Amino acid sequence: MMRQGKGWARWLAGAAMTLALATGPALADDTLDRGVGSEWSSLDPQVNFDAAAGWILADAYEGLVNFDPSGKIIPGAAESWEASADGKTYTFRLREGLKWSNGDPLVAQDFVNGVLRTLNPDTISEKGYYFYSTIKVKGAEALANGETKDPAVLGMTAPDDRTVVVEMETPAPHILDLMGSFQLAPLHSPSFQADGAGVFIDPGKVVSNGAYVIKEVVPQSHVLLERNPNYWDAANVKIPFVKYHVTEDVGTELKRYQAGEIDITYDIPLADLERLSAETPDEVFIFPSTYLIYYSFNLSHPDLSNLDLRRALSLAIDREVLEGKIVKGGGVPTLSYGGGFDADYPAPQIAEASMSQAEREALAQELYAKAGYGPDNPLKLSIATTVAEINIRRAQGAALMWKKVLGAEVEINSMERKAWLDLFYTDDWSIFADNLVGDFAGPETFLSYMRPSAEPGYGWEKPEYDAAMDEAAQVPDKAGRYVGLAKAERILLDDYIFAPMAIEPYRHLVKANVKGFAPSVAGYHNSQFMTLE
Amino acid sequence: MLRFIGKRLWHGGLTLAALVTLTFFVMRLAPGGPFSRNRKISPEVQANIEAAFHLDEPLWQQFGRFVWGVLRLDLGPSTRHRDYSVNDLIASGLPYSLTIGFWAIVIAALVGVAFGLAGALRRNSATDYLAGTIGVVGIAVPIFVIGPLAQAFFSLRLEWLPVGGITEGWRSLVLPILVLALPNIAYISRITRTSMIETLRENHVRTARAKGVGWRRVLTSHVLTGALLPVIAYLGPATAAVITGSILIETVFAVPGIGRHFVDAALNRDYPLVMGITLLYGSLLILFNIATDVVRAILDPRIRHER
Repeated sequence: MMRQGKGWARWLAGAAMTLALATGPALADDTLDRGVGSEWSSLDPQVNFDAAAGWILADAYEGLVNFDPSGKIIPGAAESWEASADGKTYTFRLREGLKWSNGDPLVAQDFVNGVLRTLNPDTISEKGYYFYSTIKVKGAEALANGETKDPAVLGMTAPDDRTVVVEMETPAPHILDLMGSFQLAPLHSPSFQADGAGVFIDPGKVVSNGAYVIKEVVPQSHVLLERNPNYWDAANVKIPFVKYHVTEDVGTELKRYQAGEIDITYDIPLADLERLSAETPDEVFIFPSTYLIYYSFNLSHPDLSNLDLRRALSLAIDREVLEGKIVKGGGVPTLSYGGGFDADYPAPQIAEASMSQAEREALAQELYAKAGYGPDNPLKLSIATTVAEINIRRAQGAALMWKKVLGAEVEINSMERKAWLDLFYTDDWSIFADNLVGDFAGPETFLSYMRPSAEPGYGWEKPEYDAAMDEAAQVPDKAGRYVGLAKAERILLDDYIFAPMAIEPYRHLVKANVKGFAPSVAGYHNSQFMTLE
Repeated sequence: MLRFIGKRLWHGGLTLAALVTLTFFVMRLAPGGPFSRNRKISPEVQANIEAAFHLDEPLWQQFGRFVWGVLRLDLGPSTRHRDYSVNDLIASGLPYSLTIGFWAIVIAALVGVAFGLAGALRRNSATDYLAGTIGVVGIAVPIFVIGPLAQAFFSLRLEWLPVGGITEGWRSLVLPILVLALPNIAYISRITRTSMIETLRENHVRTARAKGVGWRRVLTSHVLTGALLPVIAYLGPATAAVITGSILIETVFAVPGIGRHFVDAALNRDYPLVMGITLLYGSLLILFNIATDVVRAILDPRIRHER
């Protein structure tokens, strides 16, 4: 659904009101003020792909499940659910008497309609892959590709008003991670059919089912939400108003926080991190996210096709020093790919994880020499990275370590983000400062990205890995599946096609009077669980 | 005079057309597109998204579509801000940019001219040195240094004004306006002072004085009109620049104007938004330049007769 402009008349009217800017209400104590960084990309729950806008939408919409402050899955619109023995079918039971914010009854079909709209090519949503790739809901791919328009093919159905059934082609215990509002917000069909996608930014018309409703939207400035009296748990929602503020510059956001204009920041400036952690440790929240940073090696590059050399490069990096003394952004050093997100996963690490850094470096030098490089014949490579300060610091640190430990001459090729994204597919790089944001806090979202048969194109031929992943994908229970995934990850790590670097953290400042904010790897922080004291 | 304006408008239109055409094609040379991501989605879905924004068409056809849109005053949908069209985004951001720019230039003109006059009339006095100092500071110290300093002092220490945002009405606009005005105060006072000193030495001024015309009268009707010509010449482009070029101000003070959109749009390859803002900025710049020329022509007959 493409929106056309409301015409030049409105444009002129806007320009004419130049001198008539209304005086807004002063910040009140009954409002929780939260930072969302730069502009959110969309308030359309079936389209938005931004984590920051996801917070706004998580307040306004509730999925079948919800996430408590620590990120644990708790019942949302569904009060309970059960899986079939083969793990391919999940049945969700909705709470009794659920209502939309306008008082309309909220029924199971509304959730099915949300998924149908996400998959519909006319919606131009990038989120359909959650349902045909991350989990494989029957019929989802055909709908997303436009092969059919028939909603009956979708393996997600509403046999009655309080039951949602999801049928998948393969078992996927991580389905519950995808049943929250970010992936699965219900659709209020009457208001959407009346006004199209414009309804989601129109406070007068938007109908939602979360703890809050949208009251005011000013692009690039703020979104104001008010408590939804029709929410099933409204009695336990303590804060009457939540306001999300756009502040592009992190330095300005810090000042707004210090001035009391913002209660929870989007980020913390790197330059102030150490000082703030020392001065106000109780207000600084730094915890791992699902944002993994790793340096990919181009396997078609003449030097890097050599496994010993790739291994030497990975071992020569002292990750503790890199994150703690050079990057200083709170990153968590990692020697794994799918580990560090779900504590239940027995994550494999690179084979040399048990060695000391000195031992790793000695081995790295040995492997480097074995691969045929030395002082007379140094390795010459470049790291392709974006211009973001934190990424440049990390690349400079890595290049320094490669120089110091191996004598390799590595330069840094920094570029704008979009250019960097495109460079990957041109294959015209040797080391790529790569990253991946997981769809949920578990190993599988990362490991399936690396499948040789999957999209991204690392040029890695490894039928054993595909086979191990296929085998794991047949296991319906999480513990058993994790054993299979760990087996696959062992194969992945042993080929050193990348050097795992760090898990990028979330960095927030939270005012002492805000209670109910906790570290959550999944990154959901619903305002409904917070209080202002 | 009408012919003069008509000719200027015609040239302005040609310049704008060249600017827009060049921007359209040069922008496409930059690597990456609006939907580049590191997580590739299914090729069918990717193709569908690109087709929805007509990115699958040949470039000349996309250009034709853009021109046709401009003629209908429809700048198309934004590829990044999916809830809004480019017209919507400009309509929502422009009032903030205009408000801040307008007041900044008014303050800059009044204060700048006053400082300049005072400096020229009382050279090497305390006022002259004060104006000179403000001039040096205003020109030499960039906005991204003065802005945070002003926030630290007025907002965090004195707690008079908010740090950023626009949610506190006029109080939210005071700092951005003053910080934006500062470099312009500096330029305008320097221009006024130099030009005043020059004009005071001119023959017609000396003649008027010799004929016994009073000092006050000489100043108002003989000196000022001449001395302010360069200031007016500066004000036109400066007004356009202040309205359109307050990107730093908008970033530092979290003002939801269009300046910020411009940079974000370019970085995100939001082609329709880049084109919309280029068109707007180009038009403003050209119109203000024409307005300046017209005012100067009214004040100075020599300019009118040049061509």
